[in-house]
Amino acid sequence: MTTVTLHDLRKEFDDVVAVNGIDLEIVDGEFLVIVGPSGCGKSTTLRLLAGLEDATGGEIVMDGRDVTAVEPKDRNVAMVFQNYALYPHMTGRRNITFGMKSSGDFTDEAIDRRVGEAAETLDIADLLDRKPQAMSGGERQRVALGRAIVRDPDAFLMDEPLSNLDAKLRIQMRAELAQLHTSLGTTTVYVTHDQTEAMTLGERVVVMNDGRIMQVDEPQTLYDFPANRFVAEFIGDPAMNMLPVDIENGTAVHDAFAIPLPNADGGLRNGANGDGDVPIRDGRRAVLGVRPEDLYLATERPDASGETLAATVDVTEPLGDSLLLHCSIGESPCKIQAKPRSDIRPGDTVSIAYDPARLHCFDPESGDAFYHSESDASSESVAAAADQGR
Amino acid sequence: MSTREIFDSRIESALLLLPTLLVSVVFLYYPTALAFRTSFFDSSFGRAEVFVGLENYVGLVTSSGYHRSIVISVVFAAVVVVGVVVVSLYLTFLIHEVDTGQGLYLISVIWPYALPPAVGALVFLFITHPTLGVLTGPIESLGVEVDWFNNGSQAFVVVALAAIWKQIGYNVIFMIAAMNNVPDTLTETAELDGVGGLRRLVSVYVPIMTPTIFFLVVINTIYAFFGTFAFVDLLTSGGPSNATNILIFNLYQEGFSFFNFGVASAKSVVLFVVVGVLMFVQFRITDRYSYYGG
Repeated sequence: MTTVTLHDLRKEFDDVVAVNGIDLEIVDGEFLVIVGPSGCGKSTTLRLLAGLEDATGGEIVMDGRDVTAVEPKDRNVAMVFQNYALYPHMTGRRNITFGMKSSGDFTDEAIDRRVGEAAETLDIADLLDRKPQAMSGGERQRVALGRAIVRDPDAFLMDEPLSNLDAKLRIQMRAELAQLHTSLGTTTVYVTHDQTEAMTLGERVVVMNDGRIMQVDEPQTLYDFPANRFVAEFIGDPAMNMLPVDIENGTAVHDAFAIPLPNADGGLRNGANGDGDVPIRDGRRAVLGVRPEDLYLATERPDASGETLAATVDVTEPLGDSLLLHCSIGESPCKIQAKPRSDIRPGDTVSIAYDPARLHCFDPESGDAFYHSESDASSESVAAAADQGR
Repeated sequence: MSTREIFDSRIESALLLLPTLLVSVVFLYYPTALAFRTSFFDSSFGRAEVFVGLENYVGLVTSSGYHRSIVISVVFAAVVVVGVVVVSLYLTFLIHEVDTGQGLYLISVIWPYALPPAVGALVFLFITHPTLGVLTGPIESLGVEVDWFNNGSQAFVVVALAAIWKQIGYNVIFMIAAMNNVPDTLTETAELDGVGGLRRLVSVYVPIMTPTIFFLVVINTIYAFFGTFAFVDLLTSGGPSNATNILIFNLYQEGFSFFNFGVASAKSVVLFVVVGVLMFVQFRITDRYSYYGG
């Protein structure tokens, strides 16, 4: 039973600030994923949690105990590394038991029993007598997981554990990790640069950039209500389209189009930042964000009402399940996820409709979101209404 | 054949190889062959060589003094090799673990290796001289009388220590490279598991470093048999009472003090065979325990 609290945690390497004062509460039994681009400080945060790096400032509290200056071995956490970190000269069994035997906290019977249980949980009984070089990547990572769970730690810390596996195996291991977490219920902090992994595994996801936390939320909330432009563009593939607009009378005005912002007339709104409804000032500049899947060809939905925009197709990318169109709306580049097998060629001009419930506006300077066309609280009802409309 | 021709013609590559071949043949293979031949002759200055067959070897086989020299050499080599590897490993580990000033520690450990053996021997002589030595006072204050000019066992220890001290730098250079090659995540995993420092060295680092350590054991063995001549010559001259008369010094005396070239050649052949056999055994044993990655 472990809750972990980070308070104003900082880590500097000489003049580089890797972690820039983050506050985070990890609740007991939670599967928390930290995601971000390379160098955003996510791995450093994990290593600070493990005690492998000394914090420059701030504190780490586990279950009410300040562990900021506590040795790694006394934190009772287990770490799983990207490169598995198996001792190459030891068999699977010895890899799993080496730490326990060295620490001297366990009797031989207890070790045997725990290895047996872990082997059963992870289905690695036949790997115990093999050395790592005789195992595949997936098998090695299973043994590494076995080594982590056998000590029954207070928390698992996983540093990109699936990154060295091939795509197919990664998806399989992802499901197994989720299953493992369900059965063990141990607090898990998982670091990845892969947003798909973050979305599928995390009960909550922390998005980091430049050593700071950009947003912490459940995966769907993160996707639907990004707190800022960075999160909006980082989460989701292909990334959200960003179009520069001016706000005039509750309408987003671009060189090539003007679309009304639903609910903006009431003078709204920002659920995502948690600072309540804020009137949208007329005449302010903004960046309009629309996800590629929320744009579609007007011909695909003849019954949909509302504005349409004209776009010129630059490149087409057939993805099998959809057709990705790289277009230009006026001067602005824009991606559209259209239905597959459409007969569209580069150079064509297409008419585009959009989902009015899925519009976002960001401040062009700070990047903070100040408008989502669908509010957080009413998201379910509006989504249902939108579904009926389709 | 390689798919890529580096040189324009065979003559060019042959010409480039020639200097190396020439030096090897003139200073290595020809003297070796000549020594092998001389070992069957009675040979010295100012008289004609006389073929004596195996007489020189028979003389060695029946000489108790020579038997003792072989035993001393093997024990000396064992002490030096084990001493060098163990001390170097521990020093390497300390340097590896230290956070600041690594370069300074590394240089101070390596510098004895940069000295010529003769200078090293003289330095050690001043450190441990029975009456003038810097360390003699402190050691005698522990209740040990330093008298290695007369005490054979002490002389053996002093020469072995000097030989170990001189060779540590060479070993540390290779060991620090090998230890730095151990992935950090293994160290970190051990730290998280609460594996103590020495146990980490013995159970994690050393097994992964085995190829390097094996290489160093071979090099150190050759060093102990051949490269320690200067220490024996300058510190003890093989004495007292032949307590430090290792094979390489023994054969030097035979050849260049007594000018019995035939016997000295036979001794060098025996030394070659002894070291060769030891190498073979080392290869057989260490190959089984070496971890070559994968």
